[in-house]
Amino acid sequence: MIVVWGALDDPPVSDVLDALRTRGANIVHLDRTRVETLDFDVTLGKTPSGWIALDEHRIPLDTISAIYLRPEAHRVGCATPATACLLTIASSLDGVVVNRPAAGRSNLTKPFQLAAIAEAGFAVPPTLVTTDPLAARQFLERHRRVVYKSISGIRSIVATLDVDDADRLSGVRTGPVQLQRWIAGIDLRVHVVGERWFATAIKSTAADYRYGGSDIAIAATEIDGEFGERLVRLTASAGLLVAGIDLRLTPNDEWFCFEVNPSPGFTFYEDATGQPIAAAIADLLMKC
Amino acid sequence: MIVVVGSRHDSVARSMVRALPRAALCAAEDLTCPGWVWSLASPEHSRWVVDRTVIDDREVTGVFVRRSCVYPEELVSTHPDDREFLAAESTAFLVFVLSRTAARVVNPVIDGLLGDDAIRPEQWIPKAAELGLTLAPLRFKRGGTLCPLARTTTAVVVDVDVFGDAPPQLRAAATELAAALGVVYAAFVFDGERRLVAVSASRPPSAPALAALGSILSTRNGT
Repeated sequence: MIVVWGALDDPPVSDVLDALRTRGANIVHLDRTRVETLDFDVTLGKTPSGWIALDEHRIPLDTISAIYLRPEAHRVGCATPATACLLTIASSLDGVVVNRPAAGRSNLTKPFQLAAIAEAGFAVPPTLVTTDPLAARQFLERHRRVVYKSISGIRSIVATLDVDDADRLSGVRTGPVQLQRWIAGIDLRVHVVGERWFATAIKSTAADYRYGGSDIAIAATEIDGEFGERLVRLTASAGLLVAGIDLRLTPNDEWFCFEVNPSPGFTFYEDATGQPIAAAIADLLMKC
Repeated sequence: MIVVVGSRHDSVARSMVRALPRAALCAAEDLTCPGWVWSLASPEHSRWVVDRTVIDDREVTGVFVRRSCVYPEELVSTHPDDREFLAAESTAFLVFVLSRTAARVVNPVIDGLLGDDAIRPEQWIPKAAELGLTLAPLRFKRGGTLCPLARTTTAVVVDVDVFGDAPPQLRAAATELAAALGVVYAAFVFDGERRLVAVSASRPPSAPALAALGSILSTRNGT
């Protein structure tokens, strides 16, 4: 039995469900509505035991071999008992879990994750987190062009600042802001799925290509095998089975790594390139 | 200087500030004050804002963490529309700061989490089982009710010291589990059958536990 937890109108969830159905997998799909009606009796030990039940149909935990989860967001501290129970199962089930909830937590603190990426041997952009306008202006002066982006997992539009924009940095005094040196180059999103990887090159003049509108060209690309294996190891070191890794390749052939996304919205890239990412995830989930 | 990271509304945090030597409270409001500087490359030049005062990280000897996150409701000087976003940003920033400071942090960031979030049951239960501790079953049941335990004993671990009324064997087991979890301060609660029931870092420290905390937080890296 494979549990897929997420909204049907979330494309990665629906694509993984389709891929699993194509493969004849035994699936239970949970979305927010079904989670709220979920019955459960679970005891935590070295591994969890007990059952969950949907529509009075009991599913013993020892029959669940894999879980794919992209649950709808809930506010910190406001998880319902059912979501807390499911997160606990996903944390400790002896099976394939894409991904364990704790493994993705570092992505909720971007600079914390960036430090881990640097410690894993990848180049990362010089980064300052500050509420000090003077320190922010000095950072901008030093690097001439910087990007500012959110620190937490809440998505924000990445924006650039040039030295002419120094006055705008007085706004940092009201809350912490993350500034990074602008790195010129081509964006790459590499989706790691178990031991496999799918590299996508993105060309755009926008600071944040996700909001580049029509000014974007996406194509499947190849990366060096050794580099791909390093990305697999980086993913594994974060405790993840699947990740969307954001990189940039500079004109000097230097790689910079920005982020390891533990719950990647891979369909944006899959739809543009035809890379079989959902199929690879389905294969991984059925591996057990 | 010892920094207690917590809420101004947390009486335990406030009493710890009064009891610990050269201690001050770093509250949610401080996280949105000008003065913080934390660079990924050179954490040695980092600066805190503690009780509205800018403090060099080199002046901070120890940090005691009394929160798992910053709540939007704490940011009263922020426009209500921005509080949720700023609370998430402040929490993320705090995790980064606590993972980079050269001061000793009790308890350290684990998996990007703070406080009791870092020692949630799915974390301590398997580790306790691996160490051979007997566990009281922790059951999640829809509509389940909490059954207060008639009799419990507690071992409060502060680094290598143990306080509380648990018998020596359970105190030793608690110390071992604390080390396995990577926590410096935690209370381990056992039921009448000597089974481990709960682990928490949010229990207020007793006077002797507080003295031990003061000792390890007063000098950098406990030395």
